[in-house]
Amino acid sequence: MSIEKTEELILNMGPQHPSMHGLFRMVVHLEGEKITKLEPKIGYLHRGIEKLAESRTYAQFIPYTDRLDYLASPHNNWAYVQTVEKLMGLVIPERAEYLRVIFGELARIASHQVCIASTALDMAGWSAWSYAFRDRERILDMYEMTAGSRLTVNIMRIGGISAEPPAEFWPALKAFLDDTPEMIEEYNGIFFGNEIAQGRMKNVGILSKELAENLSITGPVLRASGVNYDVRKAEPYSIYDRFDFKVPVRTGCDSYDRTIIRLDEIVESIKIIKQAMRDIPEGPIMTKVPKVIKPPAGEVYHRVENPKGELGFYIVSDGTTKPARVRIRPATFINLQMLPIVALGWKIQDVIAIFATLDAVLGEVDK
Amino acid sequence: MDALNNVFVNIAHAIRGLFPDPTSVWANLTMDVINFIIVVVIVVLAALILILLERKIAGWTSQRTGPNRLGPRGWFQTIADALKLMGKEDVTPAGADKFIFKIAPMIIFSLPMMTLAVIPYGKGMAPLDLDLGIFYFVAISSISTLAFVMAGWGSNNKYSLLGAMRAVAQMVSYEIPLLFSLLGVVMITQSFNLGAIVEAQGSIPFIILQPLAFVIFIIAGMAELNRAPFDLVEADQEVVAGPFTEYTGLRWGLFFLGEYGNMTAMSALGATVFLGGWQGPGFLPGYVWFFMKVGVIIFFMMWARWTFPRIRIDHLMHLAWKVLLPLSLLNILLTGLGIYIYRLVMGG
Amino acid sequence: MFGKGLLQGLGITFKRMVGPNITEFYPEEKPKLPTRVRSSMGLDKSKCISCNMCAMACPNGVIKLTSEKDENNKKMLKSYQMDVGRCLFCGLCVEACPTKALTVTQEYENAVYEPDELKWDMIKRAERKGKVG
Repeated sequence: MSIEKTEELILNMGPQHPSMHGLFRMVVHLEGEKITKLEPKIGYLHRGIEKLAESRTYAQFIPYTDRLDYLASPHNNWAYVQTVEKLMGLVIPERAEYLRVIFGELARIASHQVCIASTALDMAGWSAWSYAFRDRERILDMYEMTAGSRLTVNIMRIGGISAEPPAEFWPALKAFLDDTPEMIEEYNGIFFGNEIAQGRMKNVGILSKELAENLSITGPVLRASGVNYDVRKAEPYSIYDRFDFKVPVRTGCDSYDRTIIRLDEIVESIKIIKQAMRDIPEGPIMTKVPKVIKPPAGEVYHRVENPKGELGFYIVSDGTTKPARVRIRPATFINLQMLPIVALGWKIQDVIAIFATLDAVLGEVDK
Repeated sequence: MDALNNVFVNIAHAIRGLFPDPTSVWANLTMDVINFIIVVVIVVLAALILILLERKIAGWTSQRTGPNRLGPRGWFQTIADALKLMGKEDVTPAGADKFIFKIAPMIIFSLPMMTLAVIPYGKGMAPLDLDLGIFYFVAISSISTLAFVMAGWGSNNKYSLLGAMRAVAQMVSYEIPLLFSLLGVVMITQSFNLGAIVEAQGSIPFIILQPLAFVIFIIAGMAELNRAPFDLVEADQEVVAGPFTEYTGLRWGLFFLGEYGNMTAMSALGATVFLGGWQGPGFLPGYVWFFMKVGVIIFFMMWARWTFPRIRIDHLMHLAWKVLLPLSLLNILLTGLGIYIYRLVMGG
Repeated sequence: MFGKGLLQGLGITFKRMVGPNITEFYPEEKPKLPTRVRSSMGLDKSKCISCNMCAMACPNGVIKLTSEKDENNKKMLKSYQMDVGRCLFCGLCVEACPTKALTVTQEYENAVYEPDELKWDMIKRAERKGKVG
C-alpha cells in the first residue's frame, strides 16, 4: 500500500525561455520529469498580416510575405507571386524561372542549416551551432550582393525577379558549392555521428505514419515517417519537372530521422542548383506587366514546398488593385498539432528535442 | 634548481624560526593562518584564470577570438565581471526560505578551499598533511550536493526545484564510481595519504598501471562537477539555469567561482593520484610541473564541454549504475589479482 | 567501437581550435558592404521630378514630398521627408523611381537616441559633408 502523495507539477515554459524558437509558450503537466499533458499556447507574434493585405496593392504586399517564415524568405515571396501570376495568367521568362529556382534552393539550404544548428543547440552542442551559422553566412552574403538584404530579401516580383545577379555572384556560388562536401562531413562528425546526440534522438518522439497523414502534416516531418509526398513532385510548379533529383524519405519516425533528413535535402538541393547553373539561358528577367496590376475577379489557391512543409496562398480578388482576402496556409502551424500527442510520456529534455526537430518558426505560426 | 624547488619550504622554515619555540602553539597557529590564506588565494586565482580560459577556448572552437578588449588580450575580463556583479541589485524572491537561500552559495564557495588544503603542491608542500587524504577529499566534496538542493529548494521556483532534483540524482550516483576508481591506487600504495601516493609514483605514474581507473575517474569527475556533457543541473535550454535561476549579483558569482574552484580541486586530485603529482624531470621545479598537469586535465574538460551535446537523465543513470560501477569493480578485482601475482613473482 | 563518434567530434573541435579565427574586429575594421545593400536611402535633388511614384510604391506611407511649380511651369522639389521608423527597407521606392534620383546607400550606422531624429529630411541629409545622401 503506497503512502507516497505526489502532486502534479504544472510548469510554464513561457514565451521568454532560452530555447523556444521564437515566442512560443507551452504549459506542461509533469509527474516527476515525465510529461502527462502539454498545451501549446500561441499568438505572441501575431501581426495581422492577412488583414494588412487587404489594404495594400498586390505589389506592395510582397515585403510583408518576407516576414512570415523569416528564415527562408524567398519561398514565401515565390508562393505569393506565383499565386498572383496564376490568377493573371502570366508566363515568366526562362532565365527568371531558373534564377528563382537557384535562390529558392539556396534558401532551403540556409533554412535547414538553421534547423540543424538549433536542434544541436537545444542539446548544448555549441560548436555544431556555430559551424552551421558560419556556413550560412556565405549564402546570406550571396543574397546581399544580389537583392540588397540578408534576411528579408524581397527578391521576387510579379512577373519575374527583382534584379540580375552581379558579376561576382557566380564565382561565389561556385566556391560555395565546391565547399559543401566538407561542410556535410563536418556536420556528420560533430553532431550526427556523436553517440550522445544519437542517444538523445533515436527512438524518441515517434510519429507514426497514420497519425502524420491524419493530421495533414507536410514537409520533412512527414517524409521522415515514411510517406513519399513532396509538392515539387506531386504537383510540379515553376520548372521543377525539368530537374533530376530524389525526394529523401526515411522510415524511422523518430527525432533522429526528422533531423538527418534535412541533411539529405541539403544534398539534393545542391544537385538542383548545379543543374540550374549548367542550364540557365540568357534573356530578360521580367515579363511585361502592366504598371497597375489589376487581376481579373476570381479566387485561386497555389502551393509550394517550403523548407518546413507546404506553404499555400489563397487569394480572392474582386477586380480592383487590392486583394479582397489573402489566406496563408502556414506549414508549421499545421505541423505543430503533433506536439501535444507525440510528447506524452517523454521527459522535458525530449520535448525540447522534439520541438526542435519540428523546426517551428513562430512568424509563420502566428502570422 | 634545488633551491627553486624548495623555496616555499625554506620560507616556511624561516617563519617558524622567528618564534622563540618553533613548535609552540603560536608558531603552529601562524603557519595555519598563512596556509589558509595561500589556499584562498589559489582558489580565487584559479577561478579568475579559468573563467577567462573557458571563454577563450569556447571562442577558439568556434573560430572566434573570445574576449579581447579589457587588459592585454582580455586577461582582466574576469575582474571586470566580478566588479559588475558586485554592483548588481540583490534580489531575494518573495516566499523564498531566506536563510537557506542565502547560505547555499557560501557553502559552495567554501568547499574548494577545504579540499584544496590536502593536496601536495610540491615536495613537502601540502598545507595540511592528513593521513586520510583521499577519504577526506571525497567526503568534503560530496557536501556540494547538499548546497545545490538548498539553492534549489530555497528559491521557491519550479525550475530550480527540477534542477535540484536532477542534481541529487546525478551527484549521488556518480560518487560511487569516483570513489571506487581511486581505490585501485589505494590498494597499490597501501595508504590514503596523498603525499605517500605521489612518492609511490617515483618510477611509473599510476595512469599506466590503472588506465581504466583514470578514464572512470575523468568521467565520474565531470559528472560530479556538473560539467557538460553532464550539465543537466544547470541546463540552459531546459531548466533555465536550474538551481541558480533566482540568484543575482555576487551570490551568483560565488556559485560560479565555486564551480571553477571545484574543477581545480578535482583536477588536482587527478593529477596527484594518476599523473604523478609534483614529480617530473628536474629542469623545472615541482610545483610548476604540478600546475601544468592540472592544466592538462582542465583543458581536456573544457574541450569536452564545447564538443559534446548533453546527455539525457536516464542515460546518465544507466551510465553510472550499469556501466561505470561494474567497470570500477572489475578494476578493483584486476588490481587485486595483479598485486597478488606481483607478490608471488617477486618472491614472498 | 562505442565512442568513435565522440573521438571524431573531439578531433574536429581541436582542428578548429588551432586553426585561424574569422572574427571581424568591428570598430577598428569596418566592413565594406556590397553596392546594392538596402541599408539607407539617398536623394539626388537635381534628378528628382516630383512624380510621386516613390510615395505611391511604398507599402507603409513612409515618403512624403511636396513640390511647387516654378516660372517654367515645371515641378520643383520643395521638401522630401522619410519617416524611417516606419520603413521596411524593402527597396520598392528605389525601384519605382524613373530618373534614379532615389538610390540606396551603404551607410549602416543609423542608430539615434531620440525617436524624432528618425524623421529624415532627405534634402538636408544630402548636403552633409562627405556623405552620399
